[in-house]
Amino acid sequence: MSTAASVVRSHAEAVQASRWVDYLGLFILFMVLTGSYHIHGMLTMGDWDFWSDWKDRRLWVTVYPIVMITFPAAVQAVLWERLRLPWGATVCVLGILLGEWINRYFNFWGWTYFPINFCFPTAAVHMAIFLDVVLMMSGSFLFTAVIGGLGWGLLMYPGNWPVIGPLHVPVEYNGMLMSIADIQGYHYVRTGTPEYIRMVEKGTLRTFGKDVVPVSAFFAGFMSILIYFMWHFVGRWFGTVKFIKKT
Amino acid sequence: MAATTQAVGAEQEAPLLNVRWLVFAIAIYSVFYAWVRWYEGVYGWSAGLDSFAPEFETYWMNFLYIEIVAEVITASVLWGYLWRTRDRNVEAIAGTREELRRNFTHLVWLVAYAWAIYWGASYFTEQDGTWHQTIVRDTDFTPSHIIEFYLSYPIYIITGFAAFIYAHTRLPYWNYQKKGLSLPYLISVVGPFMILPNVGLNEWGHTFWFMEELFVAPLHYGFVVFGWFALAILGLLLQVFASFLNLIGKPLCGEVYDQAVARVGEDQAQWMD
Repeated sequence: MSTAASVVRSHAEAVQASRWVDYLGLFILFMVLTGSYHIHGMLTMGDWDFWSDWKDRRLWVTVYPIVMITFPAAVQAVLWERLRLPWGATVCVLGILLGEWINRYFNFWGWTYFPINFCFPTAAVHMAIFLDVVLMMSGSFLFTAVIGGLGWGLLMYPGNWPVIGPLHVPVEYNGMLMSIADIQGYHYVRTGTPEYIRMVEKGTLRTFGKDVVPVSAFFAGFMSILIYFMWHFVGRWFGTVKFIKKT
Repeated sequence: MAATTQAVGAEQEAPLLNVRWLVFAIAIYSVFYAWVRWYEGVYGWSAGLDSFAPEFETYWMNFLYIEIVAEVITASVLWGYLWRTRDRNVEAIAGTREELRRNFTHLVWLVAYAWAIYWGASYFTEQDGTWHQTIVRDTDFTPSHIIEFYLSYPIYIITGFAAFIYAHTRLPYWNYQKKGLSLPYLISVVGPFMILPNVGLNEWGHTFWFMEELFVAPLHYGFVVFGWFALAILGLLLQVFASFLNLIGKPLCGEVYDQAVARVGEDQAQWMD
């Protein structure tokens, strides 16, 4: 644009202005993603993420990766295609983890007194880094969907096992065999977990171990591939820069 | 000509980014919400457990009435002021330092919107989770709802539409008379706004089915869908960057900018859609 030279007075000022735009733009992106990804997450997989005694359920390993690959796929579509920035998934996950940790500390622990080791959020940074690295190294959304999506699903459980493992130590409690996580749930009663909710968890695979984990993880990875495909286009749609002349 | 355009010369030496407004935007939400969190901590347990108790009326229903009146007044005054003082000749500042300055003011508005979104959609929404997983609801107006639905959501809605009005009435890139309304901007502010009407469905459903708080219940999916709409911040930020690009692109990039102009045309500030 011919008038551009008159707007800033020096190259240094242009650089400074550009940095401000970067910092403020990052803040805006990060906070809006934190809010919207958080509301998405807590209302689609939240109950399995809130409580450590739900983190031994097969639905946690299955549901979490499937519903949480949505925003990373959408944000990657715009940040990579438009700006060649390879951290779309990571920024989403960092956002939701920040929001969740603040909440678990100030509200779950600070307001309603649940211990942190009962309500810590699911670790997902390793999954996001994998998804971003696959996209950066391959430069292909197709490859990212198939390999990245599968890896996203497969990495979830092993990445969290070091944290939840100690909570799954079996103990005898009033003559019953329970895990430490179960005992926590027994003592810290929530209105959202009456017995009927436990009873809808049918089947014999209520707790994890042996072949159940990889089966559920592979299913989650397979579904993550499909969801990545869909949400890539959701991201492109939300990345529109159109104006509406008439309504 | 509007006062905003006439004042260009007088404000020539004003800083491009007014840091004081930026700090104010962050601080006002932070301080207010810190106070709200303190209020919840003190009066949630002591006066918020039973909606039939007299203290519930005193500490929570009165809080609700006051905040609703304050929000209606704030929205009317703020939106009205921004509309009444709109620049009626916004094209006059195109390609000037004043346009760059207003672009930064617009970014401050968006920072405020993003910060308000965080508090509403992340902090107070999940906070509602811990309250309902602990206390059985006996009314639609639980302490967490009075803060979440009827305070934090209206605040980000008011902020978002204020930013929307500012951009479309003061910046040539979003000049509503020339270009119409920005689709991503519209989605960014209208989508999360629709979370508030969805509260009606939520409360009706909780009452009709007499259900407790399973957060992943399909009844809540309306909130999820409207939350997705905030993803339009991606398109909106592309427009923000494009608006800046026309103003600082050449001094920043030199020959590269000239080559790009030669390749795709003079106006670099257009993304292919």
